[in-house]
Amino acid sequence: MKTNKMRVLSIPYIVWIIGFTLIPLLFVVMRAVTDPKGGFTLANLFAIFDPIHRKALILSLLLAFISSVICIIISYPAALILKASRFSNKKIMIFVLILPMWMNFILRMLSIQMLISKNGLINNLLEIFGMNKMSLINTPYAIILGMVYDYLPYMMLPILNCVLAIPDDMIEASKDLGANRWYVLTKIMIPLSLTGIGSGVTMVFVPSMTEFVIANLLGGGKIQLLGNIIEQEFSVSMNWNLGSGLSVMLMIFVLITTLVFGRTASQTDRGFVI
Amino acid sequence: MIGRSLGKIYMALIIVFLYLPILVLITLSFNASRSRVVWNGFTLKWYREVFENHVIMSAFGTTIALAVLSSLIACFIGLFAALGIFAMKKRDYRIMLFFTNIPLLNADIVTGIALMLWLVRLFPLGFTSVLISHITFNIPYVILCVLPKLEAADFHQFEAARDLGASSFHAFIKVMLPDLLPGLLAGFFMAVTMSMDDFVITYFTKGPGVNTLSTLIYGEIKKGIKPEMYALSSLLFLLVLIILIVVNILMADQDNKKDNMERTQIRRRTLMKKIVLLFMMVCALSAALCACAGNNASDEGTELTVFNYSEYLDPEMIAKFTKETGIKINYEEATTPEEMYTKFSSGAISYDLLCTSDYMLKRLIDEGRAQEIDRSAIANYSNIDPKFSDLSKSFDPDGKYTVPYFWGTVGILYNTKETDGPVDSWDDLFSGKYRGNIIMQDSMRDSFMVALKYLGYSLNTKDEAQIREAAQLLKDQKSDVESYLVDEARDEVVAGNAVMAVVYSGEAYLGHEYNEDLAYVVPKEGSNLWIDSWIVTDNCKNKDAAVKFLDFLCREDVANANFEYIYYSTPNTAVVQSMDEDLKNDPAIIPSDDSIKDCEVYEAFDEKTTQLYNELWKEIKAE
Amino acid sequence: MSKKLIELKSISKSFGACTVIEELDLYIRENEFVTLLGPSGCGKTTLLRIIGGFETPDRGQVFFDGEDITKLPPNKRQVNTVFQKYALFSHMTVAENIAFGLRIKKKPEDFIRERIKYALDLVNLSGFEERMPASLSGGQQQRIAIARAIVNEPKVLLLDEPLGALDLKLRQEMQYELIRLKNELGITFIYVTHDQEEALTMSDTIVVMNRGVIQQIGTPESIYNEPINAFVADFIGESNIIDGIMTADRQVVIGGQTFECVDTGFEKDQPVDVVIRPEDVELLPPDKGAVTGKVTSVIFKGVHYEIQVMSSIGINFLVQTTQYFSVDSLVGINVIPDNFQIMHKPKSEDEQILREGEDHENQ
Repeated sequence: MKTNKMRVLSIPYIVWIIGFTLIPLLFVVMRAVTDPKGGFTLANLFAIFDPIHRKALILSLLLAFISSVICIIISYPAALILKASRFSNKKIMIFVLILPMWMNFILRMLSIQMLISKNGLINNLLEIFGMNKMSLINTPYAIILGMVYDYLPYMMLPILNCVLAIPDDMIEASKDLGANRWYVLTKIMIPLSLTGIGSGVTMVFVPSMTEFVIANLLGGGKIQLLGNIIEQEFSVSMNWNLGSGLSVMLMIFVLITTLVFGRTASQTDRGFVI
Repeated sequence: MIGRSLGKIYMALIIVFLYLPILVLITLSFNASRSRVVWNGFTLKWYREVFENHVIMSAFGTTIALAVLSSLIACFIGLFAALGIFAMKKRDYRIMLFFTNIPLLNADIVTGIALMLWLVRLFPLGFTSVLISHITFNIPYVILCVLPKLEAADFHQFEAARDLGASSFHAFIKVMLPDLLPGLLAGFFMAVTMSMDDFVITYFTKGPGVNTLSTLIYGEIKKGIKPEMYALSSLLFLLVLIILIVVNILMADQDNKKDNMERTQIRRRTLMKKIVLLFMMVCALSAALCACAGNNASDEGTELTVFNYSEYLDPEMIAKFTKETGIKINYEEATTPEEMYTKFSSGAISYDLLCTSDYMLKRLIDEGRAQEIDRSAIANYSNIDPKFSDLSKSFDPDGKYTVPYFWGTVGILYNTKETDGPVDSWDDLFSGKYRGNIIMQDSMRDSFMVALKYLGYSLNTKDEAQIREAAQLLKDQKSDVESYLVDEARDEVVAGNAVMAVVYSGEAYLGHEYNEDLAYVVPKEGSNLWIDSWIVTDNCKNKDAAVKFLDFLCREDVANANFEYIYYSTPNTAVVQSMDEDLKNDPAIIPSDDSIKDCEVYEAFDEKTTQLYNELWKEIKAE
Repeated sequence: MSKKLIELKSISKSFGACTVIEELDLYIRENEFVTLLGPSGCGKTTLLRIIGGFETPDRGQVFFDGEDITKLPPNKRQVNTVFQKYALFSHMTVAENIAFGLRIKKKPEDFIRERIKYALDLVNLSGFEERMPASLSGGQQQRIAIARAIVNEPKVLLLDEPLGALDLKLRQEMQYELIRLKNELGITFIYVTHDQEEALTMSDTIVVMNRGVIQQIGTPESIYNEPINAFVADFIGESNIIDGIMTADRQVVIGGQTFECVDTGFEKDQPVDVVIRPEDVELLPPDKGAVTGKVTSVIFKGVHYEIQVMSSIGINFLVQTTQYFSVDSLVGINVIPDNFQIMHKPKSEDEQILREGEDHENQ
């Protein structure tokens, strides 16, 4: 089955990749290593280490990291619960997780903004019950909330895939050999679902790193992530060379993370398979 | 038992978390008020009106056509690609997967701009360019969904079919495809979802007149999302919900019958038929929608491509103009002058007419991007108040290039119930008195303007020390600021999330409409007076048509319709004269000469000052 | 006789509407090799899982060494299981797999290393410590699974169809290995299989089960030679099961022909099942047998031929013989009285179901 003839089938795709992924990327790299007058420079790349950019980069990394961790913390128990219950209908779960994406992303973020704003629905509810209002909006925590909301399915699905695929008798075997629940979780379940967690982390971490719309809508414009700076370089400051340079550096950071997590992540285990 | 119910509660909480925001949006679709922060009772009218809204419906058609077409093509390319990749050696397999992941790993904005830079060299941007971009980011989802199914597939079946005399194509269709179909369908579904949800890439690669729901919504944030949009989104959501439930029931039905092989086979075949039928229906629908969109685009005769701020012109007027003159308008929108400049100067779309703000006009005129206009050729130009020739001097000293459209001031919109007495100075923003209750403009120029005016300097100062002083002031102020917004500042004050906000005068009128406790003031230290005007770009081939359009905009009935569409100050004297008294007396609608005496119009900066601004602004935001 | 190590008292278990085990009593002695034998779905695996602690019975009790362990979780029981699909931990090396149970018990590392070596020696896989399970063959994985279980020195080793996935040669080798292990370790083996040959080869005691009910318990010889009913007879080896009528003591009528047998105590003219092992049917020249018949098919089976004969009394006989007969040749058929086994017809519905179960299995 694995014949040369079959490999030929991917030629249209290879042409497509070259035509619409690599060449456009080349344009960005070209801009990144030139100044506005067209001369060669590496300044746009090293600009990532300017204090402001460095700060944004660190904040982006931090928020992306925290969002990923929270997504894991929410998803893993859910996967365990679904595995334990006889009802482990993956199809329905995927459906439940993907459906919210059919509401426009900007509308969903606006909706979260309305829920958590100072005078918003949740605060009004808290007030009715005589509790203290929370001030979440326009803080980094609000951005984390938005990211977790938007990217949770990307973490949940691969983890679910992996955990459900662990054979029951492997768990029984470990119990048989004397393992208690905690031991089963740490020594069997988690090691066996690392690939799922790995792909989940790449799927959450990467878009969190490059995000700017969530930061704008929920951060009140007070919090600058690297994505915001790149967006501003392109659309406000009109310094496309700097924007490209920062983008290329961002890509390199993203690549490093995916290589780190990708070692554990199985490439095809992205969890969208119904 | 306790563990099990705890588990159920946990899952329920996750579902509430995911669906609460959706519920809010669906609720909003029943809100009688046009503002999302005011509840005016239950209504179904938006569900009726959405179908009459030409702009939303055409954007909806484009969105669906785009999603279905791009996903279908992505499915074809992706399926073959997956087969090819699957057959590759391990090293090539890895390399291909790496490239497949690039669109997923890249920041959307980079992908969008990169594609725009490249595609514009190949052909003029339009529906096709967006389609190509969507296919590009859809293929990876298809491949990543199909590959696992391929790995799990039983190739002996394929070989058995070959053995029984089937051609490899026939064997593939009859034997392999049914096994891969679930993966392919999942990929298709993911691709449609992603395509529908994308904003950034669409925004950068779309051509004139092409609007999707996402780009439409983004443009609407500024003036408030139209309730029809909530209605449409809710309908779409429910539709998908129903489709998915039906598909799930069909599939579950099939699963339940698994014990009976023969029946399963039959079931599967009928299920396949059903799915294929559904597929074809969706395709037919999208083809029909495409045809509709195509019809719109293929009108013969003269065309004009017009670039304006979003929600800045009554769409009825565009239809009216076409009806009167036979000239077709491709209407494009953007939210900030910088965005307009980026799109315009990239040459991605050849705009004929462009309406933007003073300092950006200056920049464009200086760069030679504007054509001279003979104002005497515009019959209705006599409606424009002559004082605007004077006010426009900073960017169009001889009145050769521009036609004023709207104007106004920047001031403070505040809640009179929450302040001690009337606000009349920028001081209230910097004194710390309303700590945590202030909204500043998320625009470099406007924020600096506030600080510079407060310090008593000109807002056009090029003195580095003065600019740095203003920047320091803004940095110190940051901890007092609740948020920096462009778009929803007005709504936030209406909703009571902040006491005061720096806004454009036009926003103030609508704010007052929703909440009568709100008042607007141009602080006594002076402020920015802005004039948004039209220019005819150097791209324009049909200047006569462009002049006709400008003349049309200056006509009393048209100017009045546009005024009533957004309630910004109009320079059209005929409109002003026919206004109601209370409108005339509203300082947000007609600023008094007294209130604007210390106001200045923005001038364009030189390179050095622009850079200084950019750097300082970044510092402030990163503080 | 050694003491009863495990005792099951009126165990019942059902999943949903489906009853898997009904009112089952069984004891297993120390140091015994017990095989639970039966067709798939007979409840043998469920029984094993109840002993292992993976399922709790709906009713009844499980005693271990006189102590009620019905509610004890698997990790607290002194039994270890070798799973059908081995269930090796795919992310651990062979050594880590074997050390798993010992590490939980917090044994010193020196001791663990020694035990790993010992266990690998025992299963003839010395030097495989650092291999990953995926790189091993089925038989090797099987032995590692056994090694993993026995290093914990369980009192009882439960084996759930452990040889099912292996090819014939390997299976036979592993059977001898298991017998050797059992003798060397001196622990109790409870073995689940649906393969009667495996059961006959290895067991001290065989428990034949069907539809959640024990049919017969006994040594391999007694089960084979004296099956208690048609189900057992058919399940243990192939049989001709023929409808007959007892016309008198030691006299059975089959297809109108009267044969002599050794059974007594039946009512006159009582319908019975007559069981004849294929190797017990003698084929003679046409003029010598009790009845004549015509050979309809001949298959060479290595040691013997398997021959189908249509007899003149309308009954088809399955015959195993070392002698060759060509198709369509006429033969005489004879069975000595000792080789007729007369059994009661199923009376109750339950037993009827047993029959159906057997049909199902044969498909």
